[in-house]
Amino acid sequence: MSFGTMIEQLMEGMGVTAAIFVLTLLFSLPLGLGVSFLRMSRSRIVAFVSKIYISIMRGTPLMLQLICIYFAPYYVFGIRISSSYRFIAVIIGFSLNYAAYFAEIYRSGIESMPVGQYEAAKVLGYGKGQTFFRIILPQVIKRILPSVTNEVITLVKDTSLAFVIATAEMFTIAKQIAAKETNLVPLMVAGVFYYIFNLIVAWVMERMEKHYSYYRN
Amino acid sequence: MAMNLLEISHMKKGFDGVSVLEDISLSVKEGEVVSIIGPSGSGKSTLLRCATMLETMDGGTLAYLGKNAAWEENGRCVYAGKAQLREIHRYFGLVFQNFNLFPHYSVLKNITEPVVLAGVSKKEAQERALRLLDQLGLADKKDAYPFQLSGGQSQRVSIARALALEPKILFFDEPTSALDPELTAEVLKVIRDLAQTHMTMIIVTHEMQFARELSDRVIFMENGFIRVEGTPEELFATNNARVRDFIGKFTV
Repeated sequence: MSFGTMIEQLMEGMGVTAAIFVLTLLFSLPLGLGVSFLRMSRSRIVAFVSKIYISIMRGTPLMLQLICIYFAPYYVFGIRISSSYRFIAVIIGFSLNYAAYFAEIYRSGIESMPVGQYEAAKVLGYGKGQTFFRIILPQVIKRILPSVTNEVITLVKDTSLAFVIATAEMFTIAKQIAAKETNLVPLMVAGVFYYIFNLIVAWVMERMEKHYSYYRN
Repeated sequence: MAMNLLEISHMKKGFDGVSVLEDISLSVKEGEVVSIIGPSGSGKSTLLRCATMLETMDGGTLAYLGKNAAWEENGRCVYAGKAQLREIHRYFGLVFQNFNLFPHYSVLKNITEPVVLAGVSKKEAQERALRLLDQLGLADKKDAYPFQLSGGQSQRVSIARALALEPKILFFDEPTSALDPELTAEVLKVIRDLAQTHMTMIIVTHEMQFARELSDRVIFMENGFIRVEGTPEELFATNNARVRDFIGKFTV
């Protein structure tokens, strides 16, 4: 196989990798916020259940979670698994997993907010939703951005775990080519691609941090 | 005849079984300036926090302009419905000891956003804010962010923020306790100017001289009770040994 063909195939895989990355963030960031609310719920049962959820998601391998979600429809419900479900299972697995991590990051940010901000908002006539979305959340985002950057960079590399249910993302393809050609170059090239992807991610996150640097807490 | 803007009777409040307010009754008329003094832990701040509904009281009644915010029913304290509380919330403002400005908003937005949320047009809110900033000597700070302000400027902005909602009564919770003497003076001047305009104010303070010259009435609190209440002349000339002792410590 020529170097050009290899790059072409890897780029195709990169498209899938990027799709997993974007869709996971799209679902897990809001879902994580929801989970963090449940985790901080005044209801002991709700808080406990979400704590268990977070504990399982963080305490077991993402690879295992992907396998479970992919095979669950068949083994639990007896539904035949269609091939299009492969990608959906990947997105569900990544989103549920990353939501757990993001939930804890949101929680740390929300709990670090001084109570005076809530009190000032209340006295000034802000409703609960207005207080959260106008006063609290924007400040929380600034506070948690460095931790979120860490997770997002990890996510770029974690997308390679999708190979476990044979999703045609970049790492899966690199491995296939490497095996066929008995040559490590495709894997090295894949590494370079991941690295470049993360350089872009780091640059974007840095821009966001700069955007929020107009004020200090 | 001036009506009672605020009426508190037999207010009680405890935290985890420890009683902080034993039995507080207090009414404030339009245009009155009332200072609350007393040692730490006497319940001054708790009284203010219960009056502004940042804390829920355990017993007694709380009313603004004759409208009940909270009252007792079968030995339990119940609060008015949402709509009534919303309306009552508009009657008062509160200035915090540590300002609690919103750090991610400019000075101008700190002042205008609550006004806009209260249903006032953006243009009107902007005009109000600029007028107040001008009045408080902060016109050049409108685009600054809170972290760029001195303590005195921050507190003046937070006073402007409270005033922009045009409250009928303004509470101050130790407004100068976080400030050094020089900055204290600039904030006290603002409060003094407000008293000139007959703004109704309740001020928890350790500034004895200030309380003395500004207030129509001074309240001395201790252990959750109002011990002595009177005009500054009466209170500062009292025979009550405890009050004399307390005032003496602060005025020397």
